Amino acid sequence: MIAQWEKGINTLANTTMNSDEFSSTANGSMNLALRAQQAMGAAMATYLATLNLPSRADVTAISDRLQSIEATMLRVADALEARQPVAGKGARRVTKIVKPRRTKRPPGEAAPQ
Amino acid sequence: MTTEPKAPAPSDRAVSDRIAEEIERTIRRNVKGLEYLASPAPSVGSTPKDVIYKRGTLNLYHYRPLVDEVYRVPILIVMATTNRGYILDLAPGQSFVEFLLESGYDVYLIDWSPPSIEEKRLRLEDYTLDFIPECVRIVRKDSRVKDVSVIGYCMGGVLSLMYAASHPKSQPKNLICFTTPVDFSNMHLFTKWADRRFFDVDTLVDTMGNVPSEMIFGSFDLLRPASRIAGQMQLWDSMWNDEHVKSYRMFERWSTDTLPLAGEYFRDTVKELFWKNALVTDSLILGGKAASLRSITAPVLHAVAQHDHIVPYDAAKALIQLIGSQDKEEVVLKGGHVSVVAGANAQKRLWPRLDSWLAPRSV
Repeated sequence: MIAQWEKGINTLANTTMNSDEFSSTANGSMNLALRAQQAMGAAMATYLATLNLPSRADVTAISDRLQSIEATMLRVADALEARQPVAGKGARRVTKIVKPRRTKRPPGEAAPQ
Repeated sequence: MTTEPKAPAPSDRAVSDRIAEEIERTIRRNVKGLEYLASPAPSVGSTPKDVIYKRGTLNLYHYRPLVDEVYRVPILIVMATTNRGYILDLAPGQSFVEFLLESGYDVYLIDWSPPSIEEKRLRLEDYTLDFIPECVRIVRKDSRVKDVSVIGYCMGGVLSLMYAASHPKSQPKNLICFTTPVDFSNMHLFTKWADRRFFDVDTLVDTMGNVPSEMIFGSFDLLRPASRIAGQMQLWDSMWNDEHVKSYRMFERWSTDTLPLAGEYFRDTVKELFWKNALVTDSLILGGKAASLRSITAPVLHAVAQHDHIVPYDAAKALIQLIGSQDKEEVVLKGGHVSVVAGANAQKRLWPRLDSWLAPRSV
């Protein structure tokens, strides 16, 4: 019964949404909201600049830069760690992964002699 | 005078058994319901792996081998940019990656993180002429094998096709696409919603930068608006069944865990694929060079789902005709967009089918 109800609603909704009218209305509403957001964003940025405060865009840009620097530092640390010989007390134990042989044949096929 | 009580007729017994079973299920449903609310989500993506390369949104994993002997040719899986890669590594015993490892493949996977604000500039060509080729180079170096097979899922398949089309001289050893759209004029509701007469992609990308994950999730959800509620009703009904609940939670977690998309990449996707239908009209330009599907000569397997509501068969079927490969095959399997690659359905249909196709081509 649930499956029938689900199918019925989905079919009805799909028929409604698969029309120019739906696409035009939904996209029109989205465009309106986006333009309002653009205008609001520009106004807020001006106010914040006047008050000498960073905007959300400024803060997220700084956060992005920090993340990028952190990622670079991690890469450098990993590279340095890989070059250091593992020895002595407290040294991190590095498990060497044994690489498997690349000689497998498909089942039923004899290995070449 | 006493009379022997009549033995219930078989139908009465069936009814009483049914009532007893229903009562028992109701009790278990309530107990399990409380457990459900209190328990953490099941862990996913637990097959041991190493992150061997990371650059912004790009993560390249190498899964640790589970057998002593593997096929010569490693596999690089390219995940869809809208979702997390753990759908291919759900849980032990239900993991595509684990299946491949146990079948004797060396597996690498490209998984995507949410793009940062800086990465809103990433374009289709960054993915197809930089990220994937770079990962192929790393896989070659790490495995010490020149040949690499590439598997792409959904948009990961589209990116893999574009990569192969723009590298005619260094083709992947094998190319496998799962539910990969090529004819974007047949993407049904997505095609309608992205209609250039109504959809202002420039305002969207210029305002938002990256396209938010809520928007991606919302558009997938809107394709079947009743299915989420129906799924929850189904969950309550089957709350007594641990396997159903676990499976529901894993799939639910994944489907709501959508990723934002890099703004310029989204703009390119809409303009090149939806508006120009560039893969079918053979007009795709990447990095100033034509990328024609006819340039693909690698052996290709395309697995599509019979009941795919995201990538309908009409959008996927053109692939085999458009590519230049001689060795090419399409398989249509029962299932939907997700169930064809993950879960019990995939375990008995797609995975063994893929293995039997790929194994002889991986030596």
